[in-house]
Amino acid sequence: MDPKLKKTKNSSSNSANSPDSTHSSFPFPDEVLERVLSFLHSHKDRSSVSLVCKDWYNAERWTRTKLFIGNCYSVSPEIVARRFPRIKSVTLKGKPRFSDFNLVPQHWGADVHSWLVVFAKVYPFLEELRLKRMTLNDESLKFLATSFPGFKALSLLSCEGFSTDGLKAIATHCKNLTELDIQENGMDDLGGGWLSCFSENCSSLEVLNFASLNSEVSFDALEKLVRRCKSLRILKVNKSITLDQLQQLLVLAPQLIELGTGSFQQELTPLQYEGLGIAFSNCKNLQTLSGFWEDTSLHLPVLYAACPSLTFLNLSYATLRSGELAKIVAHSPNIRRLWVLDTVGDKGLEAVGSSCPFLEELRVFPADPFEQDLHHGVTEAGFLAVSHGCRKLHYVLYFCRQMTNAAVATIVQNCPDFTHFRLCIMNPGERDYLTNEPMDEAFGAVVKTCTNLQRLALSGLLTDLTFEYIGKYAKNLEALSVAFAGSSDGGMQCVLQGCPKLRKLEIRDCPFGNAALLSGIEKYETMRSLWMSACNVTMSACKLLAKEMPRLNVEVMRDEGSDESQADKVYIYRTVAGPRRDAPPFVVTL
Amino acid sequence: MEEMELQLKLALSSNLDEGFDLNDHNEEQEYDRLMKKKRCFDETFEEIKNVQVPRTLPLLDHIDLCEEEDGVVGWPPINSWRKKICHHYHHNSRRGCTTPTNYVTVKNGCGGGSRSNSMYVKVKMEGVGIARKVDLSRHHSYQTLIDTLMAMFANEKVQGYKLAYQDKEGDWLLAGDMPWG
Repeated sequence: MDPKLKKTKNSSSNSANSPDSTHSSFPFPDEVLERVLSFLHSHKDRSSVSLVCKDWYNAERWTRTKLFIGNCYSVSPEIVARRFPRIKSVTLKGKPRFSDFNLVPQHWGADVHSWLVVFAKVYPFLEELRLKRMTLNDESLKFLATSFPGFKALSLLSCEGFSTDGLKAIATHCKNLTELDIQENGMDDLGGGWLSCFSENCSSLEVLNFASLNSEVSFDALEKLVRRCKSLRILKVNKSITLDQLQQLLVLAPQLIELGTGSFQQELTPLQYEGLGIAFSNCKNLQTLSGFWEDTSLHLPVLYAACPSLTFLNLSYATLRSGELAKIVAHSPNIRRLWVLDTVGDKGLEAVGSSCPFLEELRVFPADPFEQDLHHGVTEAGFLAVSHGCRKLHYVLYFCRQMTNAAVATIVQNCPDFTHFRLCIMNPGERDYLTNEPMDEAFGAVVKTCTNLQRLALSGLLTDLTFEYIGKYAKNLEALSVAFAGSSDGGMQCVLQGCPKLRKLEIRDCPFGNAALLSGIEKYETMRSLWMSACNVTMSACKLLAKEMPRLNVEVMRDEGSDESQADKVYIYRTVAGPRRDAPPFVVTL
Repeated sequence: MEEMELQLKLALSSNLDEGFDLNDHNEEQEYDRLMKKKRCFDETFEEIKNVQVPRTLPLLDHIDLCEEEDGVVGWPPINSWRKKICHHYHHNSRRGCTTPTNYVTVKNGCGGGSRSNSMYVKVKMEGVGIARKVDLSRHHSYQTLIDTLMAMFANEKVQGYKLAYQDKEGDWLLAGDMPWG
């Protein structure tokens, strides 16, 4: 399909403004088709639409306003700019997910700047930018702030390379800012002065999240900002905000839908305590609560009035114990999503099971992941208890130190609707602690029972049998995460051959080698990416793969001191942009 | 920050059980000889039966004081941000706790962002081209260290191995002879 040809055809039919279409196969004029398609928002639907025929491809590209790019290297800014002329919102994801766990060296790439430069030329009316695992520096933020006069929303998650100075530029220059969402980034917090950079005329903020920044901000500036932004619906403050100050903010913004508390630890007078309770009870729209830094249990009762309306409670930074959690969930019967630390123990999870019948998502994070002591945290008992009481559970992330095959089998019988099952038994290669067997049957039960399973993360001692089960049963699986598992190439082969919807496969420390890698040679173009590190793959196999499949980028990173023939880290992804032009020396594209 | 010169080696237990003295100077020469040869895993395994000399496989190159990793690199899969919070919890003692099991306060502190008590060792097994990093300060017993190492190195195959290390004075010691501290 020649883009130039399409552009001419489309513009001529637009400029002629003729209702008579020259296309006998399709009776509607382009304008009508475009109008209809403008109601389509899902990027998956839009991709399908664009494949129907040339007319639909054109109509779709002229009406797309939101761009989603799951792998920034799968396409280039120039290609994007040529195809889509009217983009207002961009979501860009960069580094492989395992970079979150330090498996990707520094300065790997995914710099957003080259994208911004093109966007400034082609999409001057860009309004939203959402970045995940991208690199950006303060210069880029300044460029962003000054290049797009109508810029409204910035969301940064797991990004790195910038500092609060960059945020100053955003606050200063983006006069119509509605959203500033800074989440868990590798950024430098040089001070809270950025918050004071919002102009006194700025009253458009709807979302402000600076929970992950530590520096003190000017409470006066924050208070004034909250006071004049009447549409503020999401406010997540940082640790520097005291309970007393939080109360003042709540009084100013009772319309909040999502609140992130600051430090929840402070000596309060009885009057202050009462005032805080009243402030919470006046927040009738509150659906999400998060924050809770520091030791929080003293003041939790002030929340109880707000709990009945809560649907999402994020306590994953609060070292609560079972009794404390039990009390909160007793007041929160409508909870759909709950994130906790494993300090709550199995007993805390039992309370969840009995209090939260509508629970759909549970995430239990380890408070002390590197501690070997078995007496901390949660076990299979807690998970079982939740599954008995929360039959609608479909998303779980569970860190534990022991598990049994039988428990998992029961859990999925109780909750057969799992779409996301991420179990992390923290010791690599851990067996079923009761039977001493591998954990194959656990994951076998998961894939056999949960036919809607989209995402699976494995752990424990696993043989190829687990992968046979996955290949045989997990027909809707899209993302699989594997570590310290498998016995031979056969394992990986089963998955590659058996999972038609697989898009993302990440593997570390498994005995999968060249035969396994090459068995997927035709599959990788149907996937977003494959990551394999610390496996048994060699350079020669990677070179072969690269040669056979020119539309894949096959990138290898070698560890220092390792054999030249070993491909220690392999990242393979489909792309229309060709090999990376910005690859650092340690990334070799074959 | 403490730095210690440590070398870790995985040695075949059958030989060590025979009361083989690693500190015998002859063995140093043997070690040097071994260092010069590259042996593949299978070869090494076969020779267990025949050979008197322990196949001490050089594991450790140097201490790598890496700021971010504990235990096995990138495991458990928790992002850096959450890890910082975990370390932060160690810093704060629990108020008026009634339960006996609680967080161990790291006495030497990891405030200021640096993991000053970490002791990273790079572990490489001959025949396996994959290096691992292990933080010794995160293990409280030889058993957990061995378990972790075994899990890291395709555990089924390494059952004949024991852990030996060489201290500053160049003496070879069998892991487990001295108390962990």
